Amino acid sequence: MAYIWLRGHRPECQPPASNAIASHQRPHLIERFNEGAKRRVHSLQEFFVLGGKAIGFAFSRPFYRADLIQQMDSIGVQSLPIVLLTGFFTGMVLALQSSVQLKTFGATMYIGRLVAASMIRELGPVLAGLMVAGRVGSGIAAQLGSMRVTEQIDALNTLGTDPIRKLVTPRVLAALIMVPALTVINDFAGIFGGSIISSAYVGIPTSLYWRTVFEQIAADGFIFRYIPTDFIQGLIKPFVFGAIISLVGCNFGLKTTGGTEGVGVATTRTVVTASILLLVVDYFITQILLAVFAS
Amino acid sequence: MTDNPEGRRGSDDRRQAPTDGPVAPNTPIRRPSDDLRVRAAIRNELATDRPIEPGELPALVNERTAENVIALDHVSLAFDEPILSDVSFTALAGETIVVAGESGTGKSTILKLLLRLLVPDKGTVFIDDEEITELNFPDALKVRQKMGMVFQGAALFDSMTVFENIAYPLREHTTLDEDEIEARVREKLSFVDLDPDRVMEQLPSDLSGGMRKRVGVARGMANNPKIMLYDEPTSGLDPLTTATITHLIIKLQRELAVTSVVVTHDIRSAFRMASKIAVLAEKRIVFFGTPEEMSASDDKYLRDFLGGF
Repeated sequence: MAYIWLRGHRPECQPPASNAIASHQRPHLIERFNEGAKRRVHSLQEFFVLGGKAIGFAFSRPFYRADLIQQMDSIGVQSLPIVLLTGFFTGMVLALQSSVQLKTFGATMYIGRLVAASMIRELGPVLAGLMVAGRVGSGIAAQLGSMRVTEQIDALNTLGTDPIRKLVTPRVLAALIMVPALTVINDFAGIFGGSIISSAYVGIPTSLYWRTVFEQIAADGFIFRYIPTDFIQGLIKPFVFGAIISLVGCNFGLKTTGGTEGVGVATTRTVVTASILLLVVDYFITQILLAVFAS
Repeated sequence: MTDNPEGRRGSDDRRQAPTDGPVAPNTPIRRPSDDLRVRAAIRNELATDRPIEPGELPALVNERTAENVIALDHVSLAFDEPILSDVSFTALAGETIVVAGESGTGKSTILKLLLRLLVPDKGTVFIDDEEITELNFPDALKVRQKMGMVFQGAALFDSMTVFENIAYPLREHTTLDEDEIEARVREKLSFVDLDPDRVMEQLPSDLSGGMRKRVGVARGMANNPKIMLYDEPTSGLDPLTTATITHLIIKLQRELAVTSVVVTHDIRSAFRMASKIAVLAEKRIVFFGTPEEMSASDDKYLRDFLGGF
């Protein structure tokens, strides 16, 4: 029978000297697995409680409007250069790659449609989300983590302020507002980048490129007569991504332990967890939206 | 000081500070020396061993008439292992209670219990005759407004200026207008011997450790709280700054009659500022009494704890 031993500094984690595996150690492993599972479920519960409280505090007083505006600047305005750059170059690469493929079918005139559909439905939200997760999520975790280890969170508590109301709610709201806004900008930068490549490299007139872009936007119809369905699909995702990034950052930041090293750990965990969650959730949202809009 | 407990309220010729003026007979004169180490030693003595004036000692509290402001009643707390076990003590209005003990004995936990950042497993905590153990979160926030807390590292908000830090509790919990807030901030900064015009617009990162601590005290007392809590207020400070902070705590008690709980293992400062000292060991309070009673105690642990002091 094969056994996996977890080596640790605790003596009970070391493998036994003899080849006879003591039967009493098996429940120990199960117990540890059980404890680990409980901890994870508890963490998940805490995450959702944090999210619920953060949203709930948005509808009650006191509301920290100045903090919200400051966070909108920090999360949104300051992320603008990075989002513009990534969107622009992704659009250019998309046009370049698709021109090679479409040329074989003599369909290079559809580059605009392809770039627009890819950017608005998928790449725009995901790229903006990943960029914001890297820049803003890590920033939130580092900021709140530093506040935790330097007792500033405790200070807020003792000064009669709920840290979730003061620190988490403005960040979550700012992300809910600004990540969709950044996504729209990212979409536009990507489509614009695509237009430069298609006119300069592929030789498609700019007017034709933009006409195919608008054809694609109108292709799936409109909601409420004026709002293209593609836009709705492209804006639901960043709204959810904004919530994920800000809440993951706040959650890991507020739970930071272990001094400055702990701040580093919280930051890394935030970027990794938020990025993975974002991609997983993106798949499920896409499935749901395709089913809803197809019907 | 252990040799002469009464000495803390009188003068001790051996600890007379050097002076340029006339010197009392029989007082050894210390002359300034160019040797830096000697000068540093003199500065240390000035800070810690100079004779204590009556105005630098905590005011005496009338135990018959004063009311209980803080009470811990048979409080026990455990996480993975016991932190506190059956801890009880009371603080009368205007008293300064020093909680002393070795590291890791749960001293700071007592402050968290008083602030209701932690809830005891057993026992009750009273603040101002109100039991706080069963309070919900919003009510606990209200109780915390009666208290000012000074953290070990000052815990000033990095992103705010000194002015904004001190004004924070005023903006949160009072209806004072900006002029009144500025006047209050100036008053508190002056109380802690900081020049308001010089420091108000500075960020905490621009201040020295001692100044940060004093701003922390100013922020803690901004709302004129009834109770002040101090977590290791003198740790990591040089002797001069330690003396300054100690005198500040005494000044607060004498001039504003604030009830204080000070967690420290700086026993020298503890003897200067305490109305009563609680010594924690093995999760319990092993001694609770006046500094004089502590000095006079024959208990072996207390003698060892006081060491050479």
